[in-house]
Amino acid sequence: MLPFFASSDAQPLAPQILFHLGPLPFTNSMLFGIIGAIFLLGLFGMVAKATQLWPKSRFAFSVETLVETILGLLLESFGDRKKAMRHFPLLFTLFVFILINNLSGLLPGVDSITLGVAGVSVSLFRSWTTDLNATIAMAVLSLGTVHYYAVRDIGVKGYIHHFFSGNLKNPMTYFIGLNELFGEILRLVTLSLRLFGVIYGGEALLSAIASLAGNFGWAATLPVMFLEIFVSLVQAYLFMMLTASYIVMSTTHGEESESHEAVAAGAGA
Amino acid sequence: MNHVDPAFIKGLTIGLGAIGPAIGVGLVGSSVVGAVGRNPEIQGKILSTAFIMIGLVDAVFAFVLLILFTT
Repeated sequence: MLPFFASSDAQPLAPQILFHLGPLPFTNSMLFGIIGAIFLLGLFGMVAKATQLWPKSRFAFSVETLVETILGLLLESFGDRKKAMRHFPLLFTLFVFILINNLSGLLPGVDSITLGVAGVSVSLFRSWTTDLNATIAMAVLSLGTVHYYAVRDIGVKGYIHHFFSGNLKNPMTYFIGLNELFGEILRLVTLSLRLFGVIYGGEALLSAIASLAGNFGWAATLPVMFLEIFVSLVQAYLFMMLTASYIVMSTTHGEESESHEAVAAGAGA
Repeated sequence: MNHVDPAFIKGLTIGLGAIGPAIGVGLVGSSVVGAVGRNPEIQGKILSTAFIMIGLVDAVFAFVLLILFTT
């Protein structure tokens, strides 16, 4: 018979508190998120300094290629260079930040270095995206941007008309509008829970497989590790593209182009 | 049956929960192969959409794992 899965080994669902900053609890995922952000800022600062017309630095060149690739994808999805350039900084930052934080959960030492805080052993580092608070914060940020630009681009009237379109004397319009409003809330839930669930579930899977395999955990976790790398890339890409398609959908006047319909149809999943 | 083994329930959760996403990923894959076969010149565009759909489908299985490992 199978033993119990290694739920005792995995990280608890809520991030653990390292210390208190006044009334604010400071958790291990916050610490690692800040480290990731500083790392990214340093990295991109270095690249911005090293970049030139004829690139000498190979690393700067590869980062530029990444930026170009993402910009190409966004141009395709916005279909308008000016609009794409306006939203590019936020979307690219979301992509890179989520990607770095997803991947950093696989580093040795993360989750395994523990610290005694008030008699309980707490891991010092915890990947930022395995914390539901973090993913909800990012989802609120991106959806707040969506609604801000929706109101700015099509006006308050157009914004309300986006939900309650059709004959205003028909009660069906209000029913559909309420459903649309509920869908907006659902977007927040799905956007945050998807990222959190995939990354947290993946790390729990890794620790479960490591404990099932016993002494051969190093070999058994290797294929899962590659799966995790793929999944974290896909999730970072997905978060960025979903935000982009939400922006596109809510800043255009009703008519949606065909290329976004696939994404829009899947957005409720 | 008064007492059900928790390990049995966990096995059922992962087994039944894997069916749906597996079918979903299979459908996405078969459509991608068909679409690329019909018009190979927009392979990159099709693949990027396919990765989005696979990410959406995979999230369902991630929820299963999440429930499995946290209860």
